Amino acid sequence: MPSNTQAKRLISRRLVMQENVAAYLFLLPFLLFFVGFVLYPMFMCVYTSFFDATMGREDIFVGFRNYKELFSDPVFWVALKNTAIIVVVSVPITCAFSLWVASAISRMPVAATSAFRCIFYLPVVTGSVAVTMVWKWMFNNYYGIFNYLGQSAGLIDKPINWLGDPKYALGCIILILLTTSVGQPIVLYVSALDNVDKSLVEAAEVDGATPLQAFWKVKWPQMMPTTLYILVITTINSFQCFALIQLLTSGGPRNSTMTIMYYIYYNAFKLYRYGYGNAMGVILAIIIAILSAVQFRLGQEK
Amino acid sequence: MKKNLALILALCMIFTLVACGGSKTTAPAATQAPTAAPAEAPAAAPAEPAAEKVTISLWTYPIGKWTDEATVKGFIADFNAIYPDIIVNVEYLDYTNGDDKVNTAIEGGNAPDVVMEGPERLIANWGAKGLMLDLADMVPAGTYAGVLGSCTSANGAVYELPVCMTAHCMAINKDVFEEAGALQYIDLENHTWTTEDFFKAVQAVYDAGYPYVGTIYCGGQGGDQGTRALVTNLHGGTYANTEHTQYTYASEVNAKALSELCAQDGITFDPSIVASDEIQNFVNGTFQMAFCWNATQEVNNADALGFDAFPMAFPAEDGVASLQGGIWGYGIFDNKDEARAEAAKTFLRYLTEDDAVYAKVVEATNFQPVREVAGVYEGNELMAEYALMNPMMGDYYQITKGWTTARTEWWNMLQRVGESDGTVETILNEMQAAQDAANAAAAAE
Repeated sequence: MPSNTQAKRLISRRLVMQENVAAYLFLLPFLLFFVGFVLYPMFMCVYTSFFDATMGREDIFVGFRNYKELFSDPVFWVALKNTAIIVVVSVPITCAFSLWVASAISRMPVAATSAFRCIFYLPVVTGSVAVTMVWKWMFNNYYGIFNYLGQSAGLIDKPINWLGDPKYALGCIILILLTTSVGQPIVLYVSALDNVDKSLVEAAEVDGATPLQAFWKVKWPQMMPTTLYILVITTINSFQCFALIQLLTSGGPRNSTMTIMYYIYYNAFKLYRYGYGNAMGVILAIIIAILSAVQFRLGQEK
Repeated sequence: MKKNLALILALCMIFTLVACGGSKTTAPAATQAPTAAPAEAPAAAPAEPAAEKVTISLWTYPIGKWTDEATVKGFIADFNAIYPDIIVNVEYLDYTNGDDKVNTAIEGGNAPDVVMEGPERLIANWGAKGLMLDLADMVPAGTYAGVLGSCTSANGAVYELPVCMTAHCMAINKDVFEEAGALQYIDLENHTWTTEDFFKAVQAVYDAGYPYVGTIYCGGQGGDQGTRALVTNLHGGTYANTEHTQYTYASEVNAKALSELCAQDGITFDPSIVASDEIQNFVNGTFQMAFCWNATQEVNNADALGFDAFPMAFPAEDGVASLQGGIWGYGIFDNKDEARAEAAKTFLRYLTEDDAVYAKVVEATNFQPVREVAGVYEGNELMAEYALMNPMMGDYYQITKGWTTARTEWWNMLQRVGESDGTVETILNEMQAAQDAANAAAAAE
């Protein structure tokens, strides 16, 4: 017969086992979705990138040919450059603007803070097609409000074809992207600012810290996890900018707004070059993964 | 207690998932049941066994009123009065996302049974990839030979059962042209004009204070038949050879046409718009011409048009244009299901063989029939006006291989031309680069 201690251990093990089983069973539904809708497509993306895959015939294994072609494709490099510009411009501006707005509205009365949070979050919850169509109307070459205001104020002599001129098109895309990107970071920063330990801020102020010093030395370090998260999601969103391009410019004029995401779509769904599109997808995923890893690393060091 | 509850909940979730996942495996058993029944039926009852219901799907692009649910359901209801065992589910597609939706369905093995579209855009391409059934034996007698020829692929198969057609034309704002004194340059009776008169008319309208007379839209491929027809007609150029094996638009005459358009006051190149935007700008009075126009545009925009939209053939040196045709019809996807394929064919025969039904089908498209049929558009003056364009229908070069790439190259080339110095030499180089890419794609197919 087992001793009293052994019996207790046995019961304890069973309890642990039951807890583990319950936990895994709870996780199982998500795991199935994760495998089915994330891991499997990822695997298929990498796998297909080694094939000349198109509609209506068997795929032909081509090894790294898609990747070789990719690096000698001038449009891919243009798309990569445009994507990099979007990321480099939009990510810092989104973060800085969100932080500034959040700092300003978090000091307001609760009702005002909530109102501003709603206002800035509206473009996020509004359908991207609706938002894009409104912007398209505002940028319209013939009767858009920007040209109307510009001409009325004497800033421009004749209408500017905002979305039809390579000089302005990418800038317009970035501007729209900013308006749809700042909502979530603002909400997150407002929450992060609320969660800052007030006693530490007060202690710093008692010790003679200026408001700016209190912000950078006390509040900012406590908001680093939020900042890191915002940086990562904004970077990924910027890399994956697609709907705006599809609805507004189709990558034009003269590829001036072509991004990697749109070029993937164009090759896969317009030219039916699935293998080539997947090869681009793999490269994009690698770039995003490296950048995210760097951001996490820098965030941890801070 | 809590843990047991958690365990029970988790098991419930798993069972729910298993139950959901199991639906696919239980479905065949359910569908097999009716086929098993007849084996026992003769002994039990001599009456005819109930016919098995077949469900087919119809996906239709917005072709006239074929985007209107009441119209389409009306056809299906009439069809079901005769064939109650064929259920037709309809999906309405748009030109923005429709292609992606169909392609995704094809790749996912869920292609529709019937699709309504044009041969040059999609159906011929799918047929070439072995995704469509050959409908050659279903083409009604009396279908115009030219139409049938245009729908016949190189292998002799007819993947699209032609239903309606139009000669794509352009339109002018007749009120503005009259005000500008530009109607003198137009043959109002035949709806034609010469190249020389076209440029004079544009100048007159521009001088009358209308800065945007016409716009070469090149933001995408939508409605590119208009820009192709304009450029190739101005000085008698071609787009592809008559054998439909190669693209031929990089020529001196086409480059000259584009060069003249670049230099003309009132004509602009706009890479920010496509044909649908052009039509909208024409309808709201911003543009005084639309290069992408046909009868259905006038019908669809009748309420918004505040002026007389006058259909015109594209300008040509001798005034005789070669218009591009559009042919729409039905294709049946080869879904490896004989019952569904047969049901789809029955549905299409119903829509296209009987004159009375066919006339209604054509009228719902707002285009012209592809065979002689009594009673269609009877007393409809608008359609009679647009029917004047039909004799000017030119070569149906859209079935040339490499079409997808050729279209993309065309509007990208126009974007570059719009920003160029506008000389014939520069334009010819741009055209040549685009044509080479299109021909390379044609050779690769």
